[in-house]
Amino acid sequence: MKSAIAGAVFLLIGAMALSAVPADVTYTEGDASIRLSNGRQQDAQIGDVMNTGDTLKTGRDGQAELDQKGVTIKIAGNTVFTLMEREQGGKTSSVLAVALGSIKFHYGKITGSEPLVSTNSAVAGARGTDFTVFSGADGSTLIAVDAGEVTVESQGQSVDLAANEGVEVPLGRPPGDKFTVQRNQVDYSAWNEGKLDAMLSDPLAAMTSIETAMAGYEKDVADYDALFKQYRAQLNTERANLVTIINQKGKEEANKYESEVVTPLVVKTTALGLNLRYSSLAALSLRRFVAGRLYVFLKARYITQPSAETWTSFLTHYNELLAGFETSIVPHLVEADI
Amino acid sequence: MAAVVLASCASFQHGQDQGALRQVADLVNAGQAQKLAAMSVVPFLVDGEIVLLQADVAAFWDGIVKAGFRLEGATLDQGAAAGAGSFRQFADTMEVRTFFIRYVKKGARVLQATTSTGARVLLIVKSDWFSWKIIGWKGPY
Repeated sequence: MKSAIAGAVFLLIGAMALSAVPADVTYTEGDASIRLSNGRQQDAQIGDVMNTGDTLKTGRDGQAELDQKGVTIKIAGNTVFTLMEREQGGKTSSVLAVALGSIKFHYGKITGSEPLVSTNSAVAGARGTDFTVFSGADGSTLIAVDAGEVTVESQGQSVDLAANEGVEVPLGRPPGDKFTVQRNQVDYSAWNEGKLDAMLSDPLAAMTSIETAMAGYEKDVADYDALFKQYRAQLNTERANLVTIINQKGKEEANKYESEVVTPLVVKTTALGLNLRYSSLAALSLRRFVAGRLYVFLKARYITQPSAETWTSFLTHYNELLAGFETSIVPHLVEADI
Repeated sequence: MAAVVLASCASFQHGQDQGALRQVADLVNAGQAQKLAAMSVVPFLVDGEIVLLQADVAAFWDGIVKAGFRLEGATLDQGAAAGAGSFRQFADTMEVRTFFIRYVKKGARVLQATTSTGARVLLIVKSDWFSWKIIGWKGPY
């Protein structure tokens, strides 16, 4: 059942993916690899093309640069970046997802259909040309704008940033107050180190934020899944009706029925499938790059103190989070996502 | 004759497994986190977690060494070829099952060891020319 649903989502998305905007790899240095949406891994090389669902990962000494139809994406070391898509307001948008690390974006031209930028805690819509997104160890986000304007949204609240302004978005919370930031002033390593230290010194607080954010994704996935199934069932019914109309009323009537009834249903079902997929992968990103890393770092810290209260309390929350993830999100993932 | 060949193969494999365990244990006991990181591949498995960044694997080894963890007197309880069901020894989840399918190549071994204090650990290792690569870790449990 699980694979049938995931398969159906992929089939529906297939047609939409054809219109997705790929990104060309224009520069790489050091450790940089791409995991394709089919799960295959390869070293990133100049001339490679990233499509929806592909992930580029850099190591400590790695860097990469992409061009997505006029958007220049400069990926720093220790960064995980995925090209995604979602439907919003009736149209499909490219989503440049920064799971971890830092990326500088330069929009050569503003056309009104710029890709969104997402992290574990925020979504940014650019109406400007130059900004940097930092995605921290604790899932928080820092966005600094060099030129133009960027709207940053989280938990239903948004803040507009102009040039030389920045904002931090803690995981599972709305954006904070914006502040002044000069070009290239943010030291990502120091900022991220501070986030990691804070997370490790109070892992329960970190887990609370992770749980809040994960609950949001789980709700989105449940909502999209229910609607997706409902629309898919309706679509199947209408397709059967279409066959009856072809047989009983002829091709002309069937064409009219198809364009007025079936095609809108295909579009709606496809959009729901796309968003179901987007939310599932966003949840996986949170689970892998925030919760999972926290587990690994804490495990190492408490490996000789397995009865320490901090560790055992953390484990209780962590195991609950994983149980929820296994039930709510995993049925919507496929092996290639792992 | 066939029984002799089989026995010598098993003995050779046991020796190989012991060698791999000894190498990892010696490095852990000597606090050689950097060497352990250099031997490790990504993706890397820690219990039920898939670690994708080499820097995080290095931080894990560095962390356990700094925490004073040791594999004193580690002895090999069992060594077996990593197979379809090996994931259950680490975590019975779709992610870990997929990790074994996708990232644990043919020839990898799952080693179970017990330290002198009774702590048990699991290692996933694979021979790589004349050295060993570490693919995963579980424990102590």
